[in-house]
Amino acid sequence: MVKKIEFKSYKEMPIRPMTLGSMMWNLTGSWRNVRPFYEFKTSPCILGCPTNENIQRYIYLVNEGRHEEAWRTIIDNNPMPAVTGRVCFHPCMTKCTRKDFDEAVNINAIERSLGDMGLENGDWMKKAKASRKEKVAVVGSGPAGLSCAFYLARQGYPVTLFERDKALGGVLRWGIPEYRLPNDVLDRVIGQILDSGPIVVKPGVKAGADISIDELKKEYDAVFLGLGLMSSRSLGIDGEDGKGVESGLEFLRRVNSGAKVDPGAKVVVIGGGNTAMDVARCALRAGSEVTVVYRRTRNEMPAIAEEIEEAEKEGVAFHFLAVPKELIRKGGKLARVIFQKMELGEPDDSGRRRPVPVEGKTFEMGVDRLFTAIGEQADLQGIDGPVETVWNLVKTGGETGETSDPRIFAGGDVVTGAASVVEAIAAGRKAAERMGRMLDGEPEPAAEEPKTVGIEDMNTDYFIHSKRNPVPRIPVDKAKAGFSEINTGFTDELLASEAERCFSCGVCNYCDNCWIYCPDVAIKRHEDEYEFDYDYCKGCLVCVFECPRNAISIREEGK
Amino acid sequence: MKKVIMGNHAVSYGVRASEAKVISAYPITPQTHIVELLSEMCANGQIDAKFIKVESEHSAMAACVGASAAGSRAFTATSSQGLLLMHEMLHWAVGARLPIVLANVNRAVGPPWSIWTDQNDSLSQRDVGWLQIYCESNQETQDTVPQAFKIAEQLQMPVMLVMDAFFLSHTYEIVDIIEKEQVRKFLPPYKPEIKIDTADQHSFGNLAGPENYMELRYMIQEAMDRGLEVIKRVDNEFKEIFGRGYGLIDPYRCDDAEIIFVTSGTVASTTRAVIDDLRDEGIKAGSLKIRVFRPFPIEEVFEVLSKAKKVAVIDRNISFGANGIFYQEIKSALYGRTDIPILGYIAGLGGRDITPKVVREIADKAIGDEHPERYINWIGVKI
Repeated sequence: MVKKIEFKSYKEMPIRPMTLGSMMWNLTGSWRNVRPFYEFKTSPCILGCPTNENIQRYIYLVNEGRHEEAWRTIIDNNPMPAVTGRVCFHPCMTKCTRKDFDEAVNINAIERSLGDMGLENGDWMKKAKASRKEKVAVVGSGPAGLSCAFYLARQGYPVTLFERDKALGGVLRWGIPEYRLPNDVLDRVIGQILDSGPIVVKPGVKAGADISIDELKKEYDAVFLGLGLMSSRSLGIDGEDGKGVESGLEFLRRVNSGAKVDPGAKVVVIGGGNTAMDVARCALRAGSEVTVVYRRTRNEMPAIAEEIEEAEKEGVAFHFLAVPKELIRKGGKLARVIFQKMELGEPDDSGRRRPVPVEGKTFEMGVDRLFTAIGEQADLQGIDGPVETVWNLVKTGGETGETSDPRIFAGGDVVTGAASVVEAIAAGRKAAERMGRMLDGEPEPAAEEPKTVGIEDMNTDYFIHSKRNPVPRIPVDKAKAGFSEINTGFTDELLASEAERCFSCGVCNYCDNCWIYCPDVAIKRHEDEYEFDYDYCKGCLVCVFECPRNAISIREEGK
Repeated sequence: MKKVIMGNHAVSYGVRASEAKVISAYPITPQTHIVELLSEMCANGQIDAKFIKVESEHSAMAACVGASAAGSRAFTATSSQGLLLMHEMLHWAVGARLPIVLANVNRAVGPPWSIWTDQNDSLSQRDVGWLQIYCESNQETQDTVPQAFKIAEQLQMPVMLVMDAFFLSHTYEIVDIIEKEQVRKFLPPYKPEIKIDTADQHSFGNLAGPENYMELRYMIQEAMDRGLEVIKRVDNEFKEIFGRGYGLIDPYRCDDAEIIFVTSGTVASTTRAVIDDLRDEGIKAGSLKIRVFRPFPIEEVFEVLSKAKKVAVIDRNISFGANGIFYQEIKSALYGRTDIPILGYIAGLGGRDITPKVVREIADKAIGDEHPERYINWIGVKI
């Protein structure tokens, strides 16, 4: 350590107050009563994502031009960003801090860009080898099953994937119209997942019928049930099994299989969810005049907001606060439907206000075809029994999908009822991880409450207001004329411009502010991190205040 | 070359001739012409200097501090509230021993808002450690600029040139303009022994513990003590080249004077005219202009005043709760060495004119008043 210079007379001193040697002997860190330290928080978007994609990280990597690493970051939590980038209801964006500043970052569109890059760059996906002897069966090739198979194969478990249809994809294939998710994209996504590891496919095999659960248990060390929901719920009115009334799901299945459909001149769709929107817009494309009838109001509609807006733009009519009461047929054909008018009453279990009939108030509509889209049901033939069920859904112990049988796991809509693609992906991944631990005899990790941040924690002086870049799309006229994909995806420029809008909430992105502003040069900058020099950090906390994103925390010394 | 110019522009010409390298300023009435003309001179190449526009006087002085520490000749000008806003940085310039020159146009301090002259702005900076030189004419103002730089650089101390608002700043007089070619013979380029230099690294303005602080303060006072000799020598050197000198003080008809009036700034000229009238009436009167206020020329003042029977000090300023500031300085200079009465008069605050009639009123009071009952005498106040 450098020593202090002792002066015997003022004549030895320089005329100016200045150092003659080093001042490093003065360990000013001893003055500090508050200690700053780097502590990265979990960005709110990550907590908003059901499968906890590391959104902050992959957008940071996009900004660095490291697209492959960005894609790899998504793949750690979601094997199909090309799918979710198109169809996800993106709750991440609802949590985005930026929405409290101007507009949420278009995370969904960034995810799609990376997903598409992953499809274009076949060598990005590294193939996992079978390194475990335990075999696993995954039943159902929808988002939950594909996700579960992917994360099991990644761990080295040989996976056999059962699907009752000939084609894989489940609801992704037959439930989502091509204008939202083109078949060729889905085919490539599924191909990439199947290529990623030791996965064998058995299509056309219905578990619970063609092969029993017991047989599966005999052959495999663990089983995952990702059965999804297979049939529309019925309306519960007379004559709904007759002509002119059809399950929305069946209609979508026919449309998506490429079959020619002719629903008739006047179509009514009953329901307010995504299936109702898909059915309405497919019928519109088949040339029908379409009205969606929903028993509550627009505010309570469970469909993705963008889907409602698109449907409206394309010309779908909406009629709220009504339910079908009576079907009137003429000459065996559906002619008219009498609707009961409803009003909103007290909130139900879901927190939405319950629709109740307005006594004596009805109206009629001329209808050629009525589609039901008021919810879907599971087909639990051969399942109910081997595993415990509740409300016609598989009962699980928690997020990781344990059923009443310790070797059987389940996830996705068959557990939750109608939910979302991303929630099914999350369930499949978490179950795969849990199954791995079960087969390894590893204990469950303790749950940690993540620290997060909000707009009040940001130093917004460092951010410039900017509008969200919307996803480019084809015109409405062109969209409603066929099944071409509506959203065309970001260009490279738009991707870069949108990624730059990310605040990187709670996580350092090496902006250098702390390093620049430290008045005591007490922050060292390394290749990809900063380090406090506590010998000289006085605890002034300028770094904490100048960090735009709250990546530095503080604690009192001695506490 | 002789020109008829305003006092403010006389300062600008002085700075041009002194070849300042950095000029940083914020505009304020009645100073603005000084830096306005300098900015034009910078723009049209008459002076090779960096002109730094800033957002406040505090920053103006801070910029001069940085420039001077880096080895540049630095200049700024201000007035009144602007000088007060600079206060912290004025201390810095002294503590860091930086030879900055500042022209302050004396303007009364608000509120109430005033743009007219009195000395309270500069005198409230009395104890900061800047040398202060009070000028009386446009010529003196111009000539004092290169003198101030030379004094500052020899002492490594900042110098404040002080002049009255309007009576000097905006009044046109004939000035013999000095040019840089001549001034170079008097004022060599500034080459400090110590400056900020990346090749020779030191921390400046750093921490000094109690074991070192007093010594650094001792050295500032030591520079002030040497200052009077340096100012005299520099003034003589200037006189040798340009034929004009101004001294530390300027006594007028004091040799046999029984009463001497002490003045500063433009009041000195007015008072000389009244002295002539008094002399015509047979009254043995004289006047003493204080040009250098810091360091205070105690011996020179004593030498002149101790021969008189009475001293009257005219103060265009007031230290509230005490009395006139020059009055205090004069009393302090004479204390314990003579028992002649010293009378203090407050006049001309906020630009109220001190005409020959006002000075005569002071003279009449002073001559008739052997032992004033009041420790402070206000002139012309409507009571």
